[in-house]
Amino acid sequence: MSTTTVKQADEHGMEAAGSSGRSKKAIDRFITFAALVALFIVFSITAKNFFTVRNVLTLTLQTSTITLMGIGVTFAIITGGIDLSIGSVVALTGTVAVMAANVGVPIWMSMLLGLLTGIACGCVNGLLITKMKLPPFIATLGMMMVVRGVVLTITNANSKPAPDAFGALGNNTILRFGPKFPGIAYPVLIMIAMAFVFHFILKKMRIGRYTYAVGSNEEAARLSGIKVHRVKIVNYVFCSFLAGLVGIILASRMVTSQPNGGQGYELNAIAAAVIGGTSLMGGVGTVGGTVIGSFIIGVLTVGLTMQGANYFMQQIVIGLVVIFAVAFDQLRSRK
Amino acid sequence: MKKLFVVLMMAAFIAGAVSAQEIAVIVKTGNSSFWQNVQTGCFNAQKELKATTPKLSVTFLGPQSEQNINEEINIVESAIDRGAKAIVLAPSDVTALIPVVKKAKDAGIPVVIIDSLLSGDPSNYVSFLATDNDAAGRACAKELIARVKAATGSDSGKIAVMSYVAGVGSEIGRVGGFKDYIAKNSKLQIVTTQYSNSDQVTGLNQTTNVLAANPDLVGIFGANEPTAIGMGRAIAQAGLAGKIVAIGFDGNSVLQGFVKDGTIQAICVQSSYNMGYVGVKTAYDIAIAKKKVPVKVDTGFLIVTKDNIDSTAAKNVLY
Repeated sequence: MSTTTVKQADEHGMEAAGSSGRSKKAIDRFITFAALVALFIVFSITAKNFFTVRNVLTLTLQTSTITLMGIGVTFAIITGGIDLSIGSVVALTGTVAVMAANVGVPIWMSMLLGLLTGIACGCVNGLLITKMKLPPFIATLGMMMVVRGVVLTITNANSKPAPDAFGALGNNTILRFGPKFPGIAYPVLIMIAMAFVFHFILKKMRIGRYTYAVGSNEEAARLSGIKVHRVKIVNYVFCSFLAGLVGIILASRMVTSQPNGGQGYELNAIAAAVIGGTSLMGGVGTVGGTVIGSFIIGVLTVGLTMQGANYFMQQIVIGLVVIFAVAFDQLRSRK
Repeated sequence: MKKLFVVLMMAAFIAGAVSAQEIAVIVKTGNSSFWQNVQTGCFNAQKELKATTPKLSVTFLGPQSEQNINEEINIVESAIDRGAKAIVLAPSDVTALIPVVKKAKDAGIPVVIIDSLLSGDPSNYVSFLATDNDAAGRACAKELIARVKAATGSDSGKIAVMSYVAGVGSEIGRVGGFKDYIAKNSKLQIVTTQYSNSDQVTGLNQTTNVLAANPDLVGIFGANEPTAIGMGRAIAQAGLAGKIVAIGFDGNSVLQGFVKDGTIQAICVQSSYNMGYVGVKTAYDIAIAKKKVPVKVDTGFLIVTKDNIDSTAAKNVLY
């Protein structure tokens, strides 16, 4: 197929989203980013020890999981779908990796096995949605339960320690300069790398353009020759791959398998994507926006904890932020 | 032929079991170290009781996994059918096993419930054996106060509570008892209570944040297994191992490692061994010795520290 058709489908997608070009999108992005900066400043003033190099590094490390999962789910959401299974995939991939490492498989290979498990889950999701024509909500809801059931069954719900070397990925840092600057953790580097890679995929590669096209008008995309099924499957694989990566990072950070871990993470990831401007209607969303959205949640969580805010209040605040972020988006696009 | 042989063998076994005065112990699953500890307790009780009742036979059964509730029901039914003298049961569901327990009662077989609550009419079973979470929480608080005093010379300062799920029965008892004891017996101030939702990573993140926000924290309590694991990792990563008093709850191998390397000073371990041991003795008392038994028994817990982690008492409770 020719690239012209793809371009057209892409532009059509942009129009369907009600956007009037690059500048408005840039302003939207700027407003979310400004909100993040504002939050950061507020907590730096109100919460003691919030604005220290050490704490900013910790915050980045803690937010890396939700960012990675958020980027993944952004792809699923842009196609007009959703992925609720990623929290369970986090538990399964980490557990598979730890189990493999515990029976003597080399660490790198056990982690690879975990990742492959994640990719397999994504394939199943994609096939259920495309070939079995299940609504993504139902397919991934079912998979959320199935995958959780599998991981509980294979472990009997017991979390097991992993070999010490397994913890390197999650706990080691580079550029360590003494106690003042404890270094940048590997998960943060992975997050940065993945953000760039998936930004590139979404913006510069054909599959990214197809993704927008499928999400904004599936029928138009199909008629213009895009293999819609294949695009969707690839997107769910991206999503599960990143969830698998998170599973391995978390298992490594804890040096333990966590068959009960990751519950509810999918909702945080979806919230991050939505705060970052991804539309649940499909066709709209960016990696950069989701990164900012994740950090808004991350800064809020860490900031409120450090402020000593009541735990129950934290839930209320974060919930309100999700509501207002989307309400604000709606109001702006209506104008 | 083979089938017939198996049936005959089973008949012989069952006949043997019946004449042998069987106490059937049925747990949530046979495949985990926690329940294997219960089993050790059961068989040690059997050894002691055999002195007075040589025909006593304790059987230990459980489904393949804790999720397999129907299989557990089947196992209870078959124990009723073969005429066990008493049943010791750890129900894997709070309601699903009510009918079968009632069936046992109607058949004149007393049931002793261990580990987890069974709802419904409490007269369906004769005794309930579990950890007294309130007492366990208080013991953790006592241990924390003593260790803070030993480290700083006073019983004042900031501490944090890393809890698991807000409002669950065991949490209300455990964390409630802990906080009440702290308030009444020390000048320690609880600066925050966080809930990890029993997620290790959330426990790790929350502890890291609490430690960063309160560099003057003197003590911290992780109220269940995943939370305590997350807390331990956070303390180790912050380089605070041994510099802050940390008390954990439950005792899997990860937490034992933390106790041994000094990241966590003490863990409160529920006595799974006692659940089996006292469970069989209670069943024996009511069904065979025809004695009255208490309606509720605290199976106890043990504070495990670096000093006693290798003792027999600790080995009996750790899993």
